Amino acid sequence: MSILTVTGLLKAYKDMTAVRGVDFSLSEGKCIALIGPNGAGKTTILRILAGLLKQTDGDVTFSGKEANADIREFIGYLPQYPVFPSWMTAREFLLFSGEIASLPKEEAARRAEDLAEQVGIKDALDKRISDFSGGMKQRLGIAQAIIHSPELLLLDEPVSSLDPIGRRDVLTLLERLKKEMTILFSTHILNDAEEVCDELLLLHQGEIMEAGSMEALRQKYQTSVIELEFQENPEQYLEKLKSLPGIMDCKLERQIIKIPAADIAEARKCIFQTATEENWPIIGFNLNRASLEDLFMKAVKQ
Amino acid sequence: MRQWQTLVKKELIASFRDKKWIWVPLVLILLAVMDPVSNYYLPQILESVGGLPDGAVFEMPEVTATDAIGMSMGQLSSLGVLIFVLISMGTIAGERKSGVAELILVKPISYTTYIMSKWTGLLALVLVSYVISMLFAWYYIGLLYAFIPAGDFIFLLFFYGLWFILVATLSIFYNTVFNSPGLVAFGTIATIIVLSVITSLFGQKLNYSPSNLSNHALNYLQTGKIQGALIGSAVTTIIISALLLVWSIYIFQTKEHAS
Ligand SMILES: Nc1ncnc2c1ncn2[C@@H]1O[C@H](COP(=O)(O)OP(=O)(O)OP(=O)(O)O)[C@@H](O)[C@H]1O
Ligand SMILES: [Mg+2]
Repeated sequence: MSILTVTGLLKAYKDMTAVRGVDFSLSEGKCIALIGPNGAGKTTILRILAGLLKQTDGDVTFSGKEANADIREFIGYLPQYPVFPSWMTAREFLLFSGEIASLPKEEAARRAEDLAEQVGIKDALDKRISDFSGGMKQRLGIAQAIIHSPELLLLDEPVSSLDPIGRRDVLTLLERLKKEMTILFSTHILNDAEEVCDELLLLHQGEIMEAGSMEALRQKYQTSVIELEFQENPEQYLEKLKSLPGIMDCKLERQIIKIPAADIAEARKCIFQTATEENWPIIGFNLNRASLEDLFMKAVKQ
Repeated sequence: MRQWQTLVKKELIASFRDKKWIWVPLVLILLAVMDPVSNYYLPQILESVGGLPDGAVFEMPEVTATDAIGMSMGQLSSLGVLIFVLISMGTIAGERKSGVAELILVKPISYTTYIMSKWTGLLALVLVSYVISMLFAWYYIGLLYAFIPAGDFIFLLFFYGLWFILVATLSIFYNTVFNSPGLVAFGTIATIIVLSVITSLFGQKLNYSPSNLSNHALNYLQTGKIQGALIGSAVTTIIISALLLVWSIYIFQTKEHAS
């Protein structure tokens, strides 16, 4: 079930095209990362979904609604650089956000307390926002985005500006929110995506280069490397290894033999078989999977 | 309706914390009272700086209460308008420029509600300041010259007040057109100046122009007769304000809300 479907989305500015006809859909209940380097068009896409920008062409369809309908009531949005009315206190702003999203006053007040607790700004609830640190503002930003319990949460680089502790807190929070709503968040940090996301949209120069579940993408781009460590004289096993079926190549690096393999299972079986038969003095076996980083570079370079 | 209330409340609190609710009425009171009072004391002032040279005859024109309130209105129409433009030039444009609008407009509120709440919040500050300053002027003129009958004064207050509704609406309009507060101020002031220049050039044909509101209202004080021209320019002002407001909402709806 997809909660949102985007087809042929195009955004042209006067002098450049930021988004070049992208198609994707967001599965309900999933956490999806919109990954791309600076200038890829992440913010542009999120702003279009949030109704802040108008696309030049293409459709955004929310499940059960007409194409390009006003879907703001189902959406929570955190801008990349949120700017608050800094003369308000955090509580006032959360109440205000709740009330303009049509929550009854009492419920808005209750949600404000509740969310402040969840994002960790409870003690600062009655402080002026002008006195907040960057990390506190980011937490307040997340709280205001979910005050009306949206079905789809859009976060533009929610952790990029945070220190390691703040980053951890927010990722943990996302992990929890994931159970209640669909989340689409943009980032250029692959680790963040890898940690909490189920699916990936890889964006580069306004085009989606890859999309799919984390596992499927890993499989597709996987060229894992098997690393073998011998007690002594690894050179003598090189030739033998090369002759094994399922192994195309291997090389020696710092006394460790590295074997790139497309089919891990097959290669492993062969190696273990031969090693047992010939009683090789293996002291280390390691499977090095290509990281998302490599995947990212690979997809972008295509 | 509730969203509108919430937004208006935010506007009022914002201008309250800005101290606008204190300094705007104070400055307007000063403007409104200044000329009638200094005019009254002019002979004494001249006396104290040494009086007139011998032989010079200085005929002080007879200043009536109506003339005096006309002086107050002259100040409000020039410097007063400038202050209203100053406090309103960023109400929407500034919010968009800073990015605050992005957080507000992504919530499910209608753009009409947003504009109407901005208009209401601004109008509250403008009209309250205007009425207070005019009351002060009325009181001091009463003490120094003669009391204008309360009924006549309220009549004047109403018709001349329409002019400030137009000024505020004009500013809201330019707030939706331009993204920079400076341009908003420029557009508003330029429009007001052009309107009054055209009105004085084609005085006869444009008798119903909003720029003539203060003249027609003063004329009523002098003659005690309600003239067609007063009603005419009042109606024109109301219609133009309403059209501007609708136009603003239309422009705002077709605009993108992130830069
Ligand atoms: N208002 C605008 N006018 C012209 N070009 C724009 C405008 N806004 C964005 N762009 C261009 O569109 C492209 C995509 O911008 P966008 O902000 O969506 O990138 P991003 O992926 O969010 O980048 P970052 O990681 O730096 O936030 C950029 O090349 C940018 O220069
Ligand atoms: Mg961005």
